[in-house]
Amino acid sequence: MINLEFNYEYNNHVYKITAERAKENDGYLITFNGVTYPVTSSEVKPGYLRIKLDDRVIKAVVAEGNKNMFVFLDGKTFNMKRVLPTSKRVEKGNGLVSPISGKVVNVKVKEGMSVKKDDVLMVIEAMKMEYLIKAPYDGVVKKIYLNVDEQIDMGMIPIKIEKTGG
Amino acid sequence: MDVIESSIGISGKEFKENFRHYESLVKDLKEKIGCAALGGGEERIKLHRSRNKMPVRKRIEALIDPETPFMEFSPLAAFNMYDNAAPGAGIVTGIGIVHNREMIIIANDATVKGGTYYPMTVKKHVRAQMIAMENNLPCIYLVDSGGAFLPMQDEVFPDREHFGRIFYNQARMSSLGIPQIAVVMGSCTAGGAYVPAMSDETVIVKDTGTIFLGGPPLVKAATGEEVSAEELGGADVHCRKSGVADHYANDDSEAISITRNIVENLNRPQKTYLDIVKPEEPLYDIKEIYGIIPKDPRKQFEVREIIARIVDGSKFHEFKALYGQTLVCGFARIIGYPAGILANNGVLFSESALKGTHFIEICCQRKIPLVFLQNITGFMVGKQYESGGIAKDGAKMVTAVACTQVPKFTVVIGGSFGAGNYGMCGRAYNPRQLWMWPNARISVMGGSQAAGVLLTVKRDQMWREGKELSDEEEKSIIAPILKKYEMEGSPYYSTARLWDDGIIDPVDTRMVLGLGISASLNAPIHHWQPGMFRM
Repeated sequence: MINLEFNYEYNNHVYKITAERAKENDGYLITFNGVTYPVTSSEVKPGYLRIKLDDRVIKAVVAEGNKNMFVFLDGKTFNMKRVLPTSKRVEKGNGLVSPISGKVVNVKVKEGMSVKKDDVLMVIEAMKMEYLIKAPYDGVVKKIYLNVDEQIDMGMIPIKIEKTGG
Repeated sequence: MDVIESSIGISGKEFKENFRHYESLVKDLKEKIGCAALGGGEERIKLHRSRNKMPVRKRIEALIDPETPFMEFSPLAAFNMYDNAAPGAGIVTGIGIVHNREMIIIANDATVKGGTYYPMTVKKHVRAQMIAMENNLPCIYLVDSGGAFLPMQDEVFPDREHFGRIFYNQARMSSLGIPQIAVVMGSCTAGGAYVPAMSDETVIVKDTGTIFLGGPPLVKAATGEEVSAEELGGADVHCRKSGVADHYANDDSEAISITRNIVENLNRPQKTYLDIVKPEEPLYDIKEIYGIIPKDPRKQFEVREIIARIVDGSKFHEFKALYGQTLVCGFARIIGYPAGILANNGVLFSESALKGTHFIEICCQRKIPLVFLQNITGFMVGKQYESGGIAKDGAKMVTAVACTQVPKFTVVIGGSFGAGNYGMCGRAYNPRQLWMWPNARISVMGGSQAAGVLLTVKRDQMWREGKELSDEEEKSIIAPILKKYEMEGSPYYSTARLWDDGIIDPVDTRMVLGLGISASLNAPIHHWQPGMFRM
């Protein structure tokens, strides 16, 4: 039997729910917080649900937005979001390391300047493309090792940033 | 499968600017295609209709199954060539569905210079036949042509891939069991007469359809005999006396219904099995691609954002995500068909090439079609990389791409430069179809790199002669090269010369890939035997 797993975000908290098709009727066995509930549900008209949970009958209306889902139940509105399983994004390395050998075409900061995380510090051109050296964290520019038109090698750190704050 | 989570801010300023810019590129593309689709223009179309003939696209529409798509190839062939005298090169080619099976349709547009063959017309006709051969697709020729365009005979007649190749291909395909069907809906003069004569089954339309080796003017000049076109090679002559044609039609629409009957009796073999599932739309709006592609071609973009908008459910099973990260490889589904995707995410290094080679091996072993999303400025150059053996690693990838037996498809979504073009299945590597997006650029290297190389060569030469280049002279060397590369790198320059099968709106990418894979299943997928991998 296949268990379906759903993750819903509500009030900045992700709730995990698993559903399994019940053997005896058209319903599901829904597990939440370690408790399993037998549930049957039918869609009366699009968006209008009639749900039977144990012996209780619940009526709810669901409206799907672009990314969110609004559930109207017992006079209250719940704004929820389905959280999809995402592929493990490749973590980016230290933003200060040059990803490629090339030429410095633009230095956007000066020594002593404060920078914010993700600010562009330097532009490198190689193989017809521009590569950006970005601040990996908030900080102060301590030292710039390379100027415009100078050559940079892959793996070099052209700028030193001193971290500020937490 | 895991879902690609998009991190694009669709309300950002940059996204909106890119989007507006791309919209204008697509608008321009559609205008150009719309203009070419008018063929010889309204006057000519009126004249064509007055002869009781259907316009070429109407003929195709009537031939294919109702409500099915016609995947047209190279609608902008011959664009800005021959003083724009041959829109679409005067011929319409593509894949259409007749009685539920994919067919190649090759149809002359007689409103364009009487359907005569310019060099690009020949190339487009032969290219469509090549697609038929590779995918095992029956060919239907809707013939309405005066034969070769005589003023350019040296570019259409004598060479290997010229006019004669059309009939060579017909004979070879017929021998391979690929049906050849001709429908004579206009003139079929001289060499053109061999299209119906070499076909397995031929239909001819009364009054308008004629087949002869020499037309009435040539007969008069050669023998003095005066004869009308109808008497010389009309439907009655060929269906009742000569046997050159098999089926007699009273008009275009009857000819088309007879052709559909022919197709119904082809007894085509089963298609190749592929694990097909129910198609799903991507999670994100495919049109968001407009805002993802940077306005400035030197800026990079995250290619996973593109993949997320092309594949079913935005689901992507990525392979070797942490290795050779400038090439993204992985499995996905496109309109339900399985596909192995290779997509550039930066310049190719040794590791990326090795990863690509490994991934192609897997797909060949499992017989999964390959899709290349090409945006490549080349293999990395420089001392460090040459001594690391990037040439042999690049060669491994090129070998793998060249030797695959699985159907492969290429979409140029950005740049196509240098050997990167080879590794990513450029035209020379026989993708079943190669499409371009309107932002694409293609050349052996960038214009400024080419100018730099040529300038260095010139400087060295002057130096040996004890001279030096002045700034002015340098400029006079660089400027024309930049201009030439700018012009020739345009996708319109490419598509006019059939270096691709057409420029498409990115929104249509899923559809053309899905149709392409579906059509490819008419041919068996053979086991692969790669060449030597230099280790």
